[in-house]
Amino acid sequence: MDFGLSDEQRDVQKAAMEFAKGEFDPDLALELDQSGEFPESIWKKASQLGFIGLHYPEEFGGQGLGLFENILVIEAFCRVDSGIGSSLSTVDLGSEVILKFGSQEQKKNFLLPLTKGEKQLSIAFAESEDGNDFSSISTTAERRTDGYLIRGKKRFVLNASFANHFIVLCKESKEGWITLIVERDGVEVLPIEKMGLRMTPFGDLSFEEVRVSYANRVGSDGEGMVHVNHGLQAMGLRSLAQALGMAQGAFDRAMQYARQREQFGKKLFQFQAIRHKLADMAVSIEVARWLTYRSVAEYDQGRLDSGFLSIAQLEVGRRLIGVVDEALQIFGGYGYMAEQAIEHYFRDAWAIGVELGTEEELKDSIAERILGSEAIKNKK
Amino acid sequence: MDFELDEKQREFQKKVREIYEKEVSPLIEEYEGKEAFPTSLFRTLGAMGLLCLRCPKEYGGPGLDKVYECISTEELNRICAGMGAGIMVQGGLATDPILHFGSEDLKRKYLSPAVLGQKIGAFALTEPDAGSDASGIRTMAVKFENGYRLNGTKTFITNGTICDFVNVAAYTDPNRRGTGINLFIVEKEDLGFSVVKKLEKLGNHSADTAELAFDDCYVSKERMLGDCEGGGLEQLEETLKSGRITYGARSTGIGQATFDAILSYVKKSQRHGQPMRRSQAIRFILAEMAMSIEVMRNTTYRGAWLFDRGIASMKDASIVKLFCTESVQRIVQKATAIQRNLGMIMENPIQRFLRDARLLKIPEGTSEIHHLVIARELGL
Repeated sequence: MDFGLSDEQRDVQKAAMEFAKGEFDPDLALELDQSGEFPESIWKKASQLGFIGLHYPEEFGGQGLGLFENILVIEAFCRVDSGIGSSLSTVDLGSEVILKFGSQEQKKNFLLPLTKGEKQLSIAFAESEDGNDFSSISTTAERRTDGYLIRGKKRFVLNASFANHFIVLCKESKEGWITLIVERDGVEVLPIEKMGLRMTPFGDLSFEEVRVSYANRVGSDGEGMVHVNHGLQAMGLRSLAQALGMAQGAFDRAMQYARQREQFGKKLFQFQAIRHKLADMAVSIEVARWLTYRSVAEYDQGRLDSGFLSIAQLEVGRRLIGVVDEALQIFGGYGYMAEQAIEHYFRDAWAIGVELGTEEELKDSIAERILGSEAIKNKK
Repeated sequence: MDFELDEKQREFQKKVREIYEKEVSPLIEEYEGKEAFPTSLFRTLGAMGLLCLRCPKEYGGPGLDKVYECISTEELNRICAGMGAGIMVQGGLATDPILHFGSEDLKRKYLSPAVLGQKIGAFALTEPDAGSDASGIRTMAVKFENGYRLNGTKTFITNGTICDFVNVAAYTDPNRRGTGINLFIVEKEDLGFSVVKKLEKLGNHSADTAELAFDDCYVSKERMLGDCEGGGLEQLEETLKSGRITYGARSTGIGQATFDAILSYVKKSQRHGQPMRRSQAIRFILAEMAMSIEVMRNTTYRGAWLFDRGIASMKDASIVKLFCTESVQRIVQKATAIQRNLGMIMENPIQRFLRDARLLKIPEGTSEIHHLVIARELGL
């Protein structure tokens, strides 16, 4: 076992930190959070420097690295700013589905423009409000002579108004569950204003007879749910990295504040209660880091167990909320004010916390793993 | 012992609930959105006798007690905590010290119009470098002619940009740390008084919060509370006790609103093809919420009851504040987590409850300060 990063991984991490520190201006972060604008010019720069899709093969514009290296970038970005970092972390959402199941043609057409910062991609799977329930999907694809015709609605799609393409889960009467790469033109986007992650566009999609060519179907007949699971797994890993980066960023800020702020003639860190809060936060970040790193390392090795990913999502989510909440508390009144970054860290942490899943659903999945799904089903 | 509200109290509860639903609910969207307090609400509620509830009849107040004030506070915060903050300050920190320590002239001049909502009050103790450590304030009141000249900066001041008068704490004798402080009434027209900036916050958006500056601001000696120099913080003792109990009612109100919203959501929603109410995990969470709200409410009203009998200690008040403001966090956090992305949407009040409740652990003594107060009163 080796828990250290390789030299190459350290270089990636260092480059991502340097880029983020140089480009994510704190005042700009506050401004974009208020206006809810996507940081377009930073995205362009990040892609020019190769930070987008570095886990794609070189022929598709990547650097042939693992998702692990991508996760290090996301962590560093979200550490420097939760809002800007997150918005850059999800510009190529769903690309892992194309990487794994797409044709050479699709990889060339859809992945290459992502790495160049020309296009964005997202996934549109869920139709229910909680985003994780696929028991009642009603979006249909109908085979016509020149391609599919899609009808239906998708809820709570990340990057809704910015993605050029969506990977859409639909049902075709003969083929069963399939996923199609759908161009945004022709799709009606209904933007939704959210409490957190305000720079990441969010909304519902409506498909009214949207035409998609046969060439845009991913993989084979009936594979749709496999694509969904893979897409959600990769998205879960990205969310873990966002959460880890945010927790670390909140901790950095709380540490700095505790060192500088004085009350009762002492620095805050000189109070045991504050020191112990910082200690607890450090513990949480360690836990979050190793759960995240192990999950993504196993993903790259092709042996990530979904039960383990649920364990990571459950615990990292809890740790994130705890760390950011305590960081805000250390800042006291200032923490509640929008001029301190910790204020939007709080909102962004919640937004990513709910992306990681509800405790109930994650525990269901963990219980299934440890008890065996058959045992649970028989009991019902 | 009697744990029930009496008939008059129940009637009052019903009356205020109806009034707040009719008068306050329609203002939420607009004023939360533009982050401003609807100043006309002062006159509306003033005309109905719902400001400064504990102000005696001789100064135009309804002369009610702390239990009544808590009933009203709970109902108002159930509708909107932001507006609840402005109304709370009017009947608490802004006017309480005048009632207890002001001259007859000051009472006539400030209390009577405050009760009617014709004048808006604020209270200014906290400074950029003195929050938890109130004795660390640096605002000075230096004798000048027939009064004092005030110099200093105050921050996180509720009603700061809209107030007609503000109760300001300043050192008359900086050599007596903690004891050499006095309270002065400054009017908004006074030369040298200015609003530095309006502050934007995580929540309580419809509360007005500001940083204020006093630059050689002259105040005649008649506008000092009390007839001798020093003792200003001691004058605040009863007001702070009362304020801490008010936070119990604020927490209970937000907790109840959150519970009502999530209970109705759970009752009508399905997840994975099953009614949510069937999930044991969800049932446990709602049961715990119901339990917490009961205990919060009982603790609050017990505190109010002790206060009305003049036997509430600072420990009693701190227990109410600490217990209730911490308990409500769990309620809003769990409710948000259950709703996932739905809870993040700006049009859903759940995210407002999460942001609003988060404040309560900070003002009028952070949770950490209340731990210290309770420990001190235990003789440690």
